Amino acid sequence: MDREIKVSVRNLYKIFGETPDVALEYVRQGMGKPELLEKHRHVLGLQDINVDMRDGEITVIMGLSGSGKSTLIRHINRLIEPTAGEIEIDGKNVLDFDEDQLRKLRREGMSMVFQKFALLPHKTVLENAGMALAVRGFTVEEFEGEARKWLARVGLEGNADQFPHELSGGMQQRVGIARALASNSPIMLMDEAFSALDPLIRSDMQDLLLELQEELKKTIIFITHDLDESLKLADHLVILDEGHIVQQGEPQEILMNPNDPYIMDFIADINRARVLRVRSVMERTQDAPAECAGDISEHDNLESVITKSNGNTDLVYRVTRKGNQIGVLDMKVLVKALVPTEPSDSIERAQL
Amino acid sequence: MATYDFLFSSLGLKEWCAEDASDAPMSMAALLNKSKGTEGEATSLWDLPFPSMDALNESCAAFPQSRELTQGLEQGFLAIKDNLSIVLDPITQPLSWALDATLYGMVNTPWWIVIPILLAVVLFVTKSWKLVGFVAGSLCLLAFIDYYEYAMQTLAIIFVCAFICVLLGVPIGIAMSRSNMMQRLTVPVLDMLQTLPPFVYLIPLIFLFSVTESKLYGIAIILYAIVPVIRLTNLGIRLVDKDVIEAADAFGMTSQQKLFRVQIPLALPNIMAGVNQTIMMSLAMVVIASLVSAPGLGVLVLQGIRNLELGVGLVAGLGIVILAVILDRVTKASLARINASQKQ
Repeated sequence: MDREIKVSVRNLYKIFGETPDVALEYVRQGMGKPELLEKHRHVLGLQDINVDMRDGEITVIMGLSGSGKSTLIRHINRLIEPTAGEIEIDGKNVLDFDEDQLRKLRREGMSMVFQKFALLPHKTVLENAGMALAVRGFTVEEFEGEARKWLARVGLEGNADQFPHELSGGMQQRVGIARALASNSPIMLMDEAFSALDPLIRSDMQDLLLELQEELKKTIIFITHDLDESLKLADHLVILDEGHIVQQGEPQEILMNPNDPYIMDFIADINRARVLRVRSVMERTQDAPAECAGDISEHDNLESVITKSNGNTDLVYRVTRKGNQIGVLDMKVLVKALVPTEPSDSIERAQL
Repeated sequence: MATYDFLFSSLGLKEWCAEDASDAPMSMAALLNKSKGTEGEATSLWDLPFPSMDALNESCAAFPQSRELTQGLEQGFLAIKDNLSIVLDPITQPLSWALDATLYGMVNTPWWIVIPILLAVVLFVTKSWKLVGFVAGSLCLLAFIDYYEYAMQTLAIIFVCAFICVLLGVPIGIAMSRSNMMQRLTVPVLDMLQTLPPFVYLIPLIFLFSVTESKLYGIAIILYAIVPVIRLTNLGIRLVDKDVIEAADAFGMTSQQKLFRVQIPLALPNIMAGVNQTIMMSLAMVVIASLVSAPGLGVLVLQGIRNLELGVGLVAGLGIVILAVILDRVTKASLARINASQKQ
C-alpha cells in the first residue's frame, strides 16, 4: 500500500502582489485572505500546503474555482514560482534547479494535460502527439512510431493526419493525453483535463485514464472541481478551499469521516450508493456470519450489493479478498451508511 | 516701442538686447509696417500680440526670430548631412542595387516570360485558378493599352520595398512583442511614421541622397509602408493563445523553439494581414514617390497633372487601381489559406 513518495510539497505559500515577502509575514502571523486583500492588496493564493504524492497513484486535488488548485499544480513544474516552501521530486528540491535542470525535468520528468487542450493548431494530430519528443530534438520520422503507438492506445489510429480543429473536443483531449503519454515521463499533471467535455465523454475519458493507469502506473496529479470525478479517480484526495487544504486522505475515508462543514456540504449531494465501497462500511471480522446470503468483493460499490440483495435488508453478506473472508456486511448497516453525515448546520449548532 | 519692452527692462536685460542689435533679417510683417509707416503707434489691449518669438524680437533685437529656428534646423541638418551620408550611403546602397536590378529585370525580360512567371507565383500562393484568370486578364488589359512597362516598373518597386519591409519589420515586431520596454520605445516612432504626411518624408531624403539614385524613393516607400507589418507582427505574437504558450513551457521548449514552432506560426495570419497592408501602402507611396523620380504608373499620373493630360492621368490611375486589386486579392487569398489551416 505505502509506495514511495514521488512528489512532496512542503509548507508551500504563494502570494500574488507587489511585495509578496512582506505579505507572507502577515500571513504567517495569522492574517486571513480577505483581510490581506483589503489591507495590503495582496492575494493569498496558497497557504501552507503539505501534500505527499506517491509513486503510481492518482492524487486528485479538488476544490471550487478560486481555491488555488490550478495554481498548486503549476508549482510542481514551476510554471509558477512559489513565495515560500519546498517542492521535492524524487527527493530533489525543484526550486534549486537552474534553467537547464528545470527544462530537463519538464521535458523528461513530467508531462501535462490541459483543460483547453492547448494543442498546436497548425500541426497535425501526429505531430501534436509527438510534441514532447520533437522538443527533445527528434524528427517526425524518428518519433512517428512512438506517437502512432500512443494515438492508437487512446483510440485515434485513423486521425493521425488530421488537424486538431477537425476533431471533436473529446478527441482533441485524447490527443492531449497521447501527447502526455508519448513523453514517457513518470509524472503526469492533469489540469481540469476533462472539465471542458460533456458528461458522457467525460465518463469515457475517466475510464480510459483508469485503464491506462492500471497498465502504466504513472504518478498522476489530477485537478478537478467535480466531486464525482475525484471520487472515481482518486487514490489520494486533497480538498482545497481558499488556498489551504481542508482535508486529505483516501476518498472513502473522507466520505465516511468528513472533518469539516465545508466538506460535509460538498458530499451531501452525491450518490453514496455508487461511490461507497463495501470495504468502507463492512465490519472487519474473520468470523463467518450465521446466515450467509453470499460472497461479495471488498471493491464492490453499495449499489451493486443492493441490486444483488433485491432490496432485502435482512441479509448478511460475507466480504472476501481473493477468496478469503475479511469481513461481513449487514444490509442494515449498508442502508444506514447511505444517509449522509449530518449536514454542517446541525453539527455546528450542537457544538455551540 | 514694442509691446514687450517692459519684460526685458524688468529682467534687467536691456543691455544684452542692445548689445546684439542688428537690422538684418526682419519679419515680413515688420517690413510691411515699416513701409506703411505705422510703426510705434499705441495699441489697445485688443491688439495685444501673443508673446511669440517675433513679437519678443521687436522688443529685444538679441532675441531670435522664429525664422531663425527653421533656418537653424536647416543649417544644422546641412552641417551633419555630409557625415550622415558617409554612414547612410553604404548602408542603403544595396537598396539602390536591388531596385535597379529588379526594375531592369522585369522591364527587359520579354512579356511572354514575365507574365507566366507572375501567374505561376499567383497560383502557388493562392491555389486558385479563378484568381489566376483574373490576374491574367488584368495584366493583358494593361499590356493591351501599352501600360505594360509602367505597370511592371511599379510592381518591381513594390516587390523590392515590400520584401525589405517584411525583412526588417518582422524582426522588429518580434522584438517589440518580447519586451514591453521595446514596445514603449517603438510605438511613438511608428505613430509618427504613420501620421507624418508622406510628402514630409521626401524633404530630408532629397537633401541626403541624390535624386538620380533609386534608394531615395525606396527609403521613402519603406518608411511609409513598414508600419503595419511591425504593428501586426507584435500584435499577432502577443495574441497567441496563452494556453498554448503554457503548454510549450510545460513541455520544456526553449524560448527559441517557442518562437519558431509556436509563436510565429500562430501569429502568421496577423503577420500576413500586416504584409497585405504593407503592400497596399507601398502602392500608395509609389505614386507619390514619382515626384522624386520613381518610375512607373505614378509618372503618368504626375504627367497628367503637370501637362493637364486628363486621359493619361485617368487611365494611369485606373491602372493603379487594377494593380491594387490584384495585389490585395492575391495576398488576401493566401491569408485565407493560412487561416483555414489553423482555425481553432
